[in-house]
Amino acid sequence: MNSSSLHLNLLRPSERLSSSPVRMRVMLPVGAILSCIGLLVWWGVLLTQLVMTKAQSAGIEEELSAKSKEHSEVIRQRDLARELKLQLEQLEFYRAGVRSVAEPLARLAEVVPLRVQLKQLSFTPPPRQVLQPPGMKAPLFGPTENVETQKLVMAGLTTKETPVVSLMESLEGGFERLVTHERKINSFRQDNAEAEGRKLLSFEVEYTMPERRFAK
Amino acid sequence: MWLNFAKPASADILCLLSFVLGTNCATQFQVKLQLTSSKSIDIKFPCGGGRKSAADITGIEMFAPDCEGCRAVRIVNKKKAWHLVAADVVKDPDGELPARWEDTPRQPSWELPRPFQAPHAALAVNSPFGTFSQSTADAILQDMSAGLDFASASASPKSDSGGKRFGVRKAQASPPGAPKHAAKPDAPARRPSLPAGGESVSENGRRFVSRPMPEPGFHLYASLPEFQTLWVSRLLPEGRRPTASSIQVAESALMASVFLQPEFRSADGDALAIFVRRDAVFFAGYRKGEPVLWLRCPSSGGSAAMKSAIVKTLGVGSDLVDSVLNESLIDPRPALEPFVRPILAQLELSLAYLASKHSLKFDHALLMGLDAGAAHWSTYAEEALRLRLVAPDPFGGLVVGKGVESDRASEYLVALGAAIAGAEASQ
Repeated sequence: MNSSSLHLNLLRPSERLSSSPVRMRVMLPVGAILSCIGLLVWWGVLLTQLVMTKAQSAGIEEELSAKSKEHSEVIRQRDLARELKLQLEQLEFYRAGVRSVAEPLARLAEVVPLRVQLKQLSFTPPPRQVLQPPGMKAPLFGPTENVETQKLVMAGLTTKETPVVSLMESLEGGFERLVTHERKINSFRQDNAEAEGRKLLSFEVEYTMPERRFAK
Repeated sequence: MWLNFAKPASADILCLLSFVLGTNCATQFQVKLQLTSSKSIDIKFPCGGGRKSAADITGIEMFAPDCEGCRAVRIVNKKKAWHLVAADVVKDPDGELPARWEDTPRQPSWELPRPFQAPHAALAVNSPFGTFSQSTADAILQDMSAGLDFASASASPKSDSGGKRFGVRKAQASPPGAPKHAAKPDAPARRPSLPAGGESVSENGRRFVSRPMPEPGFHLYASLPEFQTLWVSRLLPEGRRPTASSIQVAESALMASVFLQPEFRSADGDALAIFVRRDAVFFAGYRKGEPVLWLRCPSSGGSAAMKSAIVKTLGVGSDLVDSVLNESLIDPRPALEPFVRPILAQLELSLAYLASKHSLKFDHALLMGLDAGAAHWSTYAEEALRLRLVAPDPFGGLVVGKGVESDRASEYLVALGAAIAGAEASQ
C-alpha cells in the first residue's frame, strides 16, 4: 500500500522549489555554460598550439630548404676534401715508394773488382699498373698493387771466377737499398773476347731488388 | 531548459538518437533519449527528485479556523519506521490567505522554526473556496467549467492590464473566478477535459486535481482558487528549508491521516473512518488502502455544534464540555443523542453503499478527531448499527519522539495527513 493514492497534490511539479542552497535550475545551466566555455578554451588552446606548430613547421621547412643548398655544398666540399686527401695520401704512398738507387750505384763502382768489367746493368721493367680499370670513369690515384718487385741484372766480363764471387760478396753488405740476398746466376761461360791473351768469361747475375712499397 | 542535439529525419529507416536534456524546475532533471520519431526513453536522474517519496517532511495545516497559528508536524522515515519528531503550533505566515486576486501581490515569506525545517513541506489549506469531493467525471467537468462561485465580481482585479501575476496570465476584463470564455462572448465555449490522475490543472481560475476511484465513473477531486494555490506555493522561499512539495485541501489531508494507523494496516487497508472536525463530520471508506468513499455528513455540524448542543441542553459551561463527555458525573446523552443519531443514520447508508458496491463489511470503524465522548458515540453506534467505534491514538503507527506533546493529538490530524500523503509513504 502506498499513500500516493490519497495524495491529491495541487502543486504542479514546475512550481516545486528546491530547499537546497545549490539550485539545480541555476547550477545546471551555469555548469553547462562553464563546460562549454571550458571546451571552447581547450579548443582555443589546441587551435593556438596547432597554428603555432604549423608556423614553426613552415619556418623549419623554409630553413631546411635554405640550408639544403649549403648542405649540398658542404657535402661537395667534404667529398672534394676527401678526394684531395686521398690524392695526398697516394702521393705520400708514391713518396714512400720512391726507390733511390743513385747512391748505391755510385758506391757500386768502388766495389767492382779490377778483373771484372760490367757490360750491362739493367732493371727489369716494373709490372704494368692498370690505373684505369675498365668501367671506371676516373683513373685511380695509385697502383692497384701496393708492392712492386724488380730485378737487377748485372752482366759483364771477367778473367776468372774469383772476382765475380768477390763482387757478389761485396754486394751482400751495404747495398740493401739496391739488392737483396736473393740472386740467381743466369749465365757464366766462356766468351769470345780476349784480354791479355786469355779468353774472358762472361757472366750474368740477376739480383732481386728490395720490394717497393706504396705505403706509409 | 531544453537542448535538442539532433532530430530524427527518417525514423522508419534509421534509428537515430537524439538527446534532450531537460530541467523544467528545480527538482526535475531528466534526459530524453529519442530512438525514433515515435519512440523515446526518459531517463530521470536521482538528483531530479521527481516523484520519489520524501523521507523527511513537515505537514502543516494552514488557516484552521479554530487555531491561532498553524498546526505542524514533522515525520521522518528511519529504519523503515515513521518517527514523529515534532508537533506544535507554529506562527502564522505574515498575512492572511488571500480572498481575491488583488491580495496576491502581497506575498509574504514564511520561515518555520528549526524543528520543522525538513527538506519538504506538505501544506494543507483550509479555504472557504476549497473543494474536496467524491464525484462523477461529468460533475467535475461541470465544476471546472463553472469557475469560482463567490463574489468574484468584487474580487476581480480592477486593472485590466491582462499582465502576468504569479506566472498566470489572466484574461482581460475577466474575473479570475469566471470561465475563460466569459471574456469573449463570441468565442465558442471550450469544454475542459478531465485531468489525468494526480495531475494538477488550472481551469477558470481554479486549480484542480483528481484521482479515479475504484468504482468506475467516480473520481476524488480537490480544487482551490488559482491565486490561493500560487500564494501558498510561494510562502516558503526557495533555498531554505522547507519548501512546499505538496499543497492539499485540508479534507484531503484528513483522509490520509489514517494511513499509518495500526488498525488500518492490520485490516490491510480496508477501513471505515469517521472524521469529526469542528464544523463537519466526514465518512471515509478505504479498500486495500484506496479511497472508495468520501462523504460529508449532510445536515450535521461538527464538534463545535456538538459542544454547543451540550452547553445549551445541559446548561454547563463550555470549558466543562470535555469533562461532561469523558466523565460520568453528568449524563450527556440527552444532548448527545439527538446530535449523533442523524450521523449514524447517514453512516448506515454509507455502510450499505460500501457493502453493496465494494463488498466491504465492517464490524468497527475508526473515529478520528474527536476530543471527548468517543465512548458515547460507540455506544450509540453499537445500539443502532452493531458497529463498534474505535478512537485510536492519532499518532498511532508513529514512533513519537521525546518532547512531542501528544495530549491534543487529534488536533494534528490534518497536518499529519498532509505529511503522510506528501511523503507518499508505503506500508
